[in-house]
Amino acid sequence: MTDEQSVDRAHIEYEITRAVARLKAVVLGMVIGLIAGVGLFAMTAVLIIDGGPDAGIHLQLLGNFFPGYSVTWPGAVIGFFWAFVCGGVIGFAIGRVYNRVVDIRQR
Amino acid sequence: MSDVVIAGAGPAGLTAAYELAKLGKTSTILEADQQVGGISRTVNYQGYRFDIGGHRFFSKIQLVNDLWDEMLNEEFLMRPRMSRIHYRGRFFDYPLKAGNALLGLGPIETVRIGCSYAKYKLWPTQPENTFEQWVCNRFGRRLFEIFFKTYTEKVWGIPCGEISADWAAQRIKNLSLTEALRNAILGDGKSKDGQVITTLIDKFKYPRLGPGMMWENCEQSLNSRGNPTLRGIRIEKFRHRNGRVESALGRNVQGEQIEYDGDDFLSTMPLRELIHSFDPLPPAEVIRAADGLRYRDFLTVVLIVKRADLFPDNWIYIHSSDVKMGRIQNYKNWSPEMVPDPTRSSLGLEYFLWDTDDLWNWDDQRLIELGRQECVKLGLIEPDEVEDGTVVRMKKAYPIYDQAYPEHLATVRRYLDTFKNLQTIGRNGQHRYNNQDHSMLTGVYAARNITGQEYDIWAVNVEKDYHEEERKPSDRMVPGRVETDEPSLPTPEQLIQAALAKLDPVALGVASGVVCGLGIFIVSAILLLRGGEEVGPTLSLLGHYLIGYKVSWPGALIGLVESAILGYILGYGCAWLSNFFTKAYAFAAKWRAEASQTRDLLERLR
Repeated sequence: MTDEQSVDRAHIEYEITRAVARLKAVVLGMVIGLIAGVGLFAMTAVLIIDGGPDAGIHLQLLGNFFPGYSVTWPGAVIGFFWAFVCGGVIGFAIGRVYNRVVDIRQR
Repeated sequence: MSDVVIAGAGPAGLTAAYELAKLGKTSTILEADQQVGGISRTVNYQGYRFDIGGHRFFSKIQLVNDLWDEMLNEEFLMRPRMSRIHYRGRFFDYPLKAGNALLGLGPIETVRIGCSYAKYKLWPTQPENTFEQWVCNRFGRRLFEIFFKTYTEKVWGIPCGEISADWAAQRIKNLSLTEALRNAILGDGKSKDGQVITTLIDKFKYPRLGPGMMWENCEQSLNSRGNPTLRGIRIEKFRHRNGRVESALGRNVQGEQIEYDGDDFLSTMPLRELIHSFDPLPPAEVIRAADGLRYRDFLTVVLIVKRADLFPDNWIYIHSSDVKMGRIQNYKNWSPEMVPDPTRSSLGLEYFLWDTDDLWNWDDQRLIELGRQECVKLGLIEPDEVEDGTVVRMKKAYPIYDQAYPEHLATVRRYLDTFKNLQTIGRNGQHRYNNQDHSMLTGVYAARNITGQEYDIWAVNVEKDYHEEERKPSDRMVPGRVETDEPSLPTPEQLIQAALAKLDPVALGVASGVVCGLGIFIVSAILLLRGGEEVGPTLSLLGHYLIGYKVSWPGALIGLVESAILGYILGYGCAWLSNFFTKAYAFAAKWRAEASQTRDLLERLR
């Protein structure tokens, strides 16, 4: 290996070790949104299927934040939508704030 | 007069002539010996065929693989590979396998090896100047002494403490992180082009009658097209003027001098001899530099043994220090047709020597007797089983990479570069440890250069990428794709860089903290704005975790601060863990790739 190649290789390795990942805010938003949406739908569905007099009394409280949400099948669909939106916003916000902080720190 | 005069009918010289013929150029090859093939020849003694060393036909260079198929077509056999190390009367698998090696050495030796390994891992010798230090740091001193010291010293004739560590590092590539990851992704033992690393294969192609068969075929093919190989012509002078070689002056076995003119000249002669053959002679410093290039010589004692099967190996490394031989070839296991009588076997006992050693000058009978005694001592044959034998001496078989050779070689190359119509190719023509495939590639490139292309012959066997036949600006034009403005695909390095990029723990902490803090504040605020008799009794339960939190405006502020702190810790922790596991994966990939290379260190050391 020539000296030049060694230097190139060392440079590449240095670049790899110091590289800092950027998050794709939209993708992160989609991922967290989907997880939240599917998660809430699944939790709601489990409670509906289990049934019983007090089914979902606590989860029902999410209706305070997600208009139209209740522990029912239509509520599960509405909950999916709201949780997807909410998770999406959270993921997107984390991604954007993270990238911004990385930019500031690398200046 | 031929267009090109080639000195030497080894793989490089013959391949160059072969390629030249394809390109429409005539050539004459001058060979000092009575046989073609150079170090890749196959010697025939009483119908028993044997190689000078063993020559597995396996190459990562597609062009060479194609040439082999073209020259030999259906004469190749696919042979299983087996090689072991013989040490203290026992056989050890090669490439080394930890379980087999430790089992064979016994529990006490295993403990000593373990302690020695641990010691060097904990306190490696720094700086790492010598080969001995280099191997000890990786394997421990005990394993070095058992598996590397004696064999390396037998092969190279230099104490391991005097061999440069650079040389070992050259043979065992210090894999880069990217390459290790590429190997990890493509699979162990695979190179960038996805092919299996040479020494790890368990099968190889081999010509039915040995590698010499291919070179004899090649010679015949060249002869039939008017490109003669003249055997027994020793070149004494290269006459030159104004930076051009004008003729090669050779002497045949009858002692007659013959002059060969040509437009271009290729030399596979050892550089030391080449420099001394120039007429007029080069400047004194060039001669001094050429004289400083050293070579290891190689002697094979062939024994014909009255036994059909001796051992299953193609070759055995002999590590025992009480015998002088370094390696044994069992030619019948390379190809059954190497032995004419199926009730017999032939062994090639290989001795690595200087031509000034006493052993080199022993008469053949004495050497055959030495070989017989050593084989008996190793327990490989019975004393009365040797029926016949012969000896082949190969001078300058291995160019020596000593501390001074880079400087000497650079001086010689600077001088050679002043010639417009002379190229040096092959192992000795470049003073480089080229295998047959590398030497052939230098021949192909030299031939193409003569027809106006621009290949860097000296880059062969240096840059891995060069084997992929990178095109040079002056290559023949071929249809190419129309260039578009589409973005180019990322390089593997860029992809690996992206895959291995660290998460910034502080940034993720801040992002997570901000989102958590605001989240708690917003949900609290929503409940407060809605009002009611009892506001947010369930959310207030978070007060168990966030001290002082309740669904009230001051509580919302407390929740914002505390959940921001918790969010920061959570984000920071996630990023740190992600980085830790990414780093661990990269380290493991690199370690695996390096371990797979060091397993076959011995083969890389000759």
